[in-house]
Order: sequence, then C-alpha cells, then structure tokens
Amino acid sequence: MEADERELLDKSVRHALVSAPDADDALDAIGWPDVLAAEPRDAVSVVFGALGDLNAVASSLDDVLLDAVGATTASGAAVALPAFGAWDPPGVVSGGALAIDGLAFARSARRYTVAVPARDGDQVIVAIVRTEAIERTLIEGIAPEVGMSKLRAGAVQPVVTETLAPHAWDDVLLAGRRALATELVAIGRAMLRLAREHALTREQFGRPIAQFQAVRHRLAEAYVALEAGDAALDAAWDTPDPMTALLAKSLAGRGARIAATHSQQVLAGIGFTEEHPLHRYVKRALLLDGLLGSSTRLPREVGVTLLATRQLPRLLDL
Amino acid sequence: METAEFRAGLVRWLDEHLTELEPPFVGEGTLGEQMEQLSRVKRALFDAGWMRWGWPESVGGLGGPPMLRAVLGEEVTGRDLVVPGFFSMTEILAPTLAEFAAPELAREEIPKLLRGEAMWCQGFSEPGTGSDLSSLSCRATERDGHWVVNGQKLWTSLSQYASRCVLLTRTGSAESRHRGITAFFVDMDTPGITVRPFALMNGAPEFAEVFFDDVVVPADRILGDVNGGWAVAMNILPFERSTSFWHRTAYLANRMQQLVERAPDDVHSATVLGEAFQMLYAMRARSRLTQYRLAEQGALGAETSIDKILVATAEQQLFDAARELVPGLVELDDSPDGERWRSEYLYSRAATIYGGSAEIQRNIVARRLLDLGPEA
Repeated sequence: MEADERELLDKSVRHALVSAPDADDALDAIGWPDVLAAEPRDAVSVVFGALGDLNAVASSLDDVLLDAVGATTASGAAVALPAFGAWDPPGVVSGGALAIDGLAFARSARRYTVAVPARDGDQVIVAIVRTEAIERTLIEGIAPEVGMSKLRAGAVQPVVTETLAPHAWDDVLLAGRRALATELVAIGRAMLRLAREHALTREQFGRPIAQFQAVRHRLAEAYVALEAGDAALDAAWDTPDPMTALLAKSLAGRGARIAATHSQQVLAGIGFTEEHPLHRYVKRALLLDGLLGSSTRLPREVGVTLLATRQLPRLLDL
Repeated sequence: METAEFRAGLVRWLDEHLTELEPPFVGEGTLGEQMEQLSRVKRALFDAGWMRWGWPESVGGLGGPPMLRAVLGEEVTGRDLVVPGFFSMTEILAPTLAEFAAPELAREEIPKLLRGEAMWCQGFSEPGTGSDLSSLSCRATERDGHWVVNGQKLWTSLSQYASRCVLLTRTGSAESRHRGITAFFVDMDTPGITVRPFALMNGAPEFAEVFFDDVVVPADRILGDVNGGWAVAMNILPFERSTSFWHRTAYLANRMQQLVERAPDDVHSATVLGEAFQMLYAMRARSRLTQYRLAEQGALGAETSIDKILVATAEQQLFDAARELVPGLVELDDSPDGERWRSEYLYSRAATIYGGSAEIQRNIVARRLLDLGPEA
C-alpha cells in the first residue's frame, strides 16, 4: 500500500472508531474486511494501531480470525476465542456434541451465530453454533467498555461444521497474535506519550520532572521495550510462522507491561485516578495481554519447545 | 552479489574447510591463542575472497553491499571459530578510516586489517574520561609540521597486539570539550608509546593502559579535520552497534544452543530458557531492522542506543540462565568448558559498561529519541 493510501485509510479508520455509533458497522462501511483480505499487513497495522492508540472498541479481532479460519460457512458469524490466558481452541467435540469454554467480543451480542474453533480428535474444525444455544455471560471485568462475554456450553449441536486444514489453528493463532501485538504496542506508545507530556509539564523542586534522570531512565526503559515489541512484530510479518508470531505477541505484551509500569510511576498520583486517561490504557493492556497467551506465560512455551527439540530455531536472516 | 547467494556460497565453503578453521585449542584458549586463531581465520577468509566482499575496491575489497559483512561475521562467529568482539573490531574501525583517512592511507592499511596481518586499537577512554568522552585530556600539539602526543589512554582493548591506533586527542583548550578534539591514526611502534596490559576479572589481559610520552605523529595521519575528532568518534559508535552486534547475536545463539542441549527438562528450566531466548530474539529482530536501515541510509544515529541496550540485556540474561540452570557451571567447573562459561559469565557483566554504559544509553534515548530536553 502506498504511503498516501495508508494515511487515508488511517484517517477514515480513526474517524470510524471515534465518531460512529457502532465501530464495527463503520469499519465494514469503509471496506476494512476487503482491505484485510487484500493487504493484511497494512490493514491490521492501521486498524489495531488506531484501536490501541485511541483506546477505542471494536470486534475487529473477529474479522482477523475469521479471515485466517478461511471457512465459508463462518462468514458473518461472531468468533469464539480461547479462554483467558489459554490458546487452545475454545471448543471440544466429543460424541458429536460440542463443549465450549471461551470468550467473545461484543459482536457476539449482535450476531445470530458464533464460529467456534474446536478440537475433534486429531482434527481442528470450526463449528457454527446458534448464539442463543450458548450460555453467554456479559463480563464487566477490568475494561467493561470492551463488552466481552464468557461463552459456555456443555453439549451443544452445531448448525454446521467444517473441517479445517491441518495447520489452520496455527494460522488462526498467528493472525490473532499479530493483531493483538499491534494493539498492545500502540497502547504502550500511548501510555508513554501521556507520561512524557506529564514529565515535561509537571514541575517539582522548581523544574519539570523530565529533567530528573530517575524519570528519564524509566521512560527510556519503556521506549526500548516497545521498540523490541515493534521489531518482533515486523519480523512476524516478514517471516510469518507460529514462533515469530508468538514472540511478537509476547514481546509486545512485555513492552506494554513495562510501559504501563513506568508511565504509571511517572504519572504518579494523577495517573492513579479516573480523572486522567492513563488508567483506561493500563486496563486494556492487562485484558489484551491475556488473550491468546500472555507475555508472562508465552516465554515458558518457547522454553518447552526448546527443551523438546534441544535445538534453537534458526534465528531471523537478513 | 546478493545476500542469499553470498551466504549459500560461504556456508558451503565453511563446511568444506571447517576442520582446518576450527581452533586448535580446547575451551576458550588463552588470549594469545585467540589472537593467533583470529589472524589465521581472517587470512583464510581473505584469501578465499569472503573477507573482501562488501568492502569498496578502493580499500582492497571486491565491492557488493556492506550487508555481506554482517552475513560473514554471523556465519563465522556462529560457528565459534573466533571471539566475536575481536573479529568485529574490523567493523568498528575500518569503515571510519575509509571515510576519514586520506585515500592512499586507507588503501594501504585496510587490506592488512582484513587479511589478519594487522590489529588496530581504539584509543578513546582515559583514566579521567569514561562516560564523559568529550572531557578527554591526552594532548596533541603541533610542532614543526608534526604533532606530538602526551598523555594516557585506558581500557584500550588488545593494544598490546595492535600495530595501529585510532586515537582521540585534545587539541583545543582544556574547556573546548567536543570542539577541541582531533583524531589520529598512530603507529603503535612509534617511540614514546608504552603499553601495560592488565587482567580483567575473568583473568584475560584483554585491556591495557597506553602511555604517550612525546610521541611524534605525522600530520598526514590526522583523521578528518583538526578539532574535528568528535565527528570521527560519533561516526564509529553507530558502526560499533550495527554490523558487529549482528555478529554478536550469532555468537550468543551458539552459546544458547550449548545451554539448551544440557539444561534440565523441567518447568523452571523452560521458563528461564524461554525468557533468555526471547531477549536474544528481540535483539536479533531489532538488529535486523538496523542492518536494513544502514543499507538504506548509509549511516545511523542515536537510535542505535536501543540496540546497545538490548544486546547487553540479552547477553547478561543468557549467561545468568547458564549459571541458573547448570549448578556450579560458573562457580565450580574446572573443565575447559566450565572455564569458558565462567569467563564468559564474568565478561558479560561488562556488557552494560563498555562501549557506552547502560546509563549513557538511557540518557541518549531520553534526550534524542524521547526529546525530553536537557537534564537538570
């Protein structure tokens, strides 16, 4: 995508996210799902970058996951995500019935069907289930504005099921983790921006606190951690595979976590209130970090792979 | 020559010649053995042409994109053939010499460095000048068309092996700071130079203090302009943090592979290894972008402080992991392998000190990248 095209997309996405009554409809109207199919890297960077930056709410992850699932039957459905902190498919098929333990974005309240990725023996399938057949509980949680729901079902009959290609779940995780990583880095950068502005204007001992090395080094630490997340994200686009996407999600989550810690400390009292916007970013980062594997849990998964193979994966090439 | 083509040919050649290129010693070897090994490997790489790719023909190279040098160092240090910091010295000093020295001097000197016949050192730090580089006081005075140097340098790596030194001197007034510094390319066998190596905490006498006592340097050995030495120094630092860091990630990956092969198979081990690998990967991902930026822009700036912070973090975390997962490896193991891990563990403590301390890097990020204005 050309730079000016991308800028235009960014502008209209941001407009859709802040001013439309329903962000999902507005993104549909500007053709985001088509852009996602045609130019996934730009599409994901722009939409999830804007979501993070603006602390906006949309169910765009559903679109990314559906696109990766690639099942025609799933078109138009909301998507069931793995349970919080987990990354196994949210559904399990046994004896022809489907059990579900997962999460969903707000879109699930407005769609008649939910696409539930599920394990069926050795296979991964996507089961299309009527929304009303699932026990759906709205979650207030730490970020109520996101409108997430908990999905549960003991034994439900899907409307239709479709068997996915052997590596389809890896593809779904890859796409989802890249999108969440993009949003987490953007949230981290937004927090750092707020902390920087505060440091330059807040005066103590007769000078802006940005002049104190203790403050400067905290902000530098956050900046470096976010750059590491960003670099990993770039690698996950240039060399897409399950490991690069996992590391992008983990390093982006780590960047957001470090940015949250230091920004919170630099913003001090005001950053601890609802008067200042920081808290919304802090809370959103905590929520997104837990989706599809957290930055505190995923490194162990890397280690498990290292110990199973006793072999370092080939590092990124030039 | 394209990167992929270069790598494929190089890997084939290295595989064919691996037995003769591998160090003749077991474990880490002595500093002398390491230096001999370095010369031998560079010579073989030069004769086969690999060491010449990515350097302009004007300095004895074969042309091609400089990124080929990143690939060469990666494959060589990743096979544990040479000490990465020593091998990469070429990357730190030669590009700057090519840019600031008289063309005939660069044409004469750089091929010797590439061929492993010469070693250079970097005379920057002084007893009173660590992080605050622009306060240096080793003085050069013009006399009868020559320059005479008096003073002392400290932390001058491998200067006992060096035949040349890229030397920063004070030529302006004592208060002139970065505006009164001049860089020279000095022959280390000039009368009046005394080198006194000293042992680091890992036992290796890699660093030395160098004394200059009425050392006469010809005027044509000035790099850049008189009182323009700060530009030379600032030119070196980003090179130090691009190609040579790429080499270092390959070396660290090799060491991590050794650790992965012997680490215990439990949850704690998985967590420690995963965290260490993640930081190594972060460094690699960052350095990858830096190589592309260098190729595109031909120069780098303050943003390489990020690379410096990440490489130091990754290195220390890796050797911390080795100590954690193989009890006694660092503290008790007297085998050649154990001695190597001990030495590397101890050396890694300096990763946040040398080449611009962790604090200086964070100052640069705060000032230049976050634009936080001057410090109090």
